[in-house]
Amino acid sequence: MSKINEISTPPPAHDFSKLEQILNRYPREEASLIMILQDIQDEYRYLPCDVLIETAKALNLPKSTVFSVGTFYKAFSLQPMGRHNIKVCMGTACHVRGAVMVLEAFQRELGLEHTGTTEDLEFTLETVNCVGACGMAPVVVIDEKYHGEVQPDRVKKMIKKGGK
Amino acid sequence: MKITLNGKQIEVNPGEYLLSVIRREGIEIPALCHHDAVEPVGACRLCIVEITRPEWEGWSRLVTSCLYPVEEGLIVETHSKLVSDTRATLLDMQLARCPDAEIIQKWAKEYGIEKTSFPVREDADKCILCDICVRICNAVGRYAIARTSRGIEKVVAVPLELGEDQACIGCLSCAHACPTGAIEWKEDSNTRTIWGLTFTLEKCPVTGEVLGTPQQLDHFAKKAGLSRDYFTKSDKAHKHETAKKFVKII
Repeated sequence: MSKINEISTPPPAHDFSKLEQILNRYPREEASLIMILQDIQDEYRYLPCDVLIETAKALNLPKSTVFSVGTFYKAFSLQPMGRHNIKVCMGTACHVRGAVMVLEAFQRELGLEHTGTTEDLEFTLETVNCVGACGMAPVVVIDEKYHGEVQPDRVKKMIKKGGK
Repeated sequence: MKITLNGKQIEVNPGEYLLSVIRREGIEIPALCHHDAVEPVGACRLCIVEITRPEWEGWSRLVTSCLYPVEEGLIVETHSKLVSDTRATLLDMQLARCPDAEIIQKWAKEYGIEKTSFPVREDADKCILCDICVRICNAVGRYAIARTSRGIEKVVAVPLELGEDQACIGCLSCAHACPTGAIEWKEDSNTRTIWGLTFTLEKCPVTGEVLGTPQQLDHFAKKAGLSRDYFTKSDKAHKHETAKKFVKII
């Protein structure tokens, strides 16, 4: 099996205080797993390996199950994500109205070659394939806030404001 | 309960799945994700058959026979044109995914495919994600392996990313159950390596045969409710001992 090691090991967090609070919000059963992982993702901004191991223990689940769920959903990340999340929509309508240039502007400003997280962990740049707001294309979503009709020359300002 | 299988009326037991009836009648159809020891999941789709009923007025549908329970009066075709064509397409795709898997080559040939018509997967291994290994591992009671990631990146793996302490006991149940031989493992005189984990081997002090890994023997002794001592000797040594005792008695 050639591809086993392509998934990189998530760095540990060594901080379980937040995890305790998260675990106490839900019943200790398998059905709580996704909700707990979502809260871990929100708190730590990724799924640290030691936190995943503790979660498996707390819910009495095999590690393999927790890892399987954690790698399945795109909402979870095994690597630390930036403080601000930038989603550039590359759907058909946005593409036609210049999403590629908007994406390039973000890459230039953030110093990223493709998508990913900046070194200072401030921003994570992602592309998505439609956010259901084609009427305001090209759309960029920064931390849940939708920005419509984005022009490449506005990008610098958007980053400076940290998405506000 | 009666069904019609390839034009022949046969008696079946309620609750049976179609695939077991088909196999009992000696009809050969491919079913790669099927394993008698675990519940069926219908992952490989190769065991599809065409079913119909007189009241369906000529309509029919394809179902996976490994998951379809028998029904009174069901009419089943295992090699109709629709079935053969669909099965050939499925095999064509699986051949593109796993060009080196002998069992897929064999079945594809049987359905007239020498070479896949789809682009062959890069760095292809032999895994068709049939899930037998995961189900077997769960049945063994270890839950050591799982499907990881999704879509084209999906692989079955031991979550090595989550530390050294793994549930895998190196028992090889997954490797032996794998229909395509995708799970690689190796063994030298003292160690066994599988899923990127290396285990020491325990041997019979009498015959020197390999008994398994200590973790595996612990687990199986516990699971079978047998004394761990039972697993410190090979079957041959046990037989020898019993024979000796028997000779003493007579």
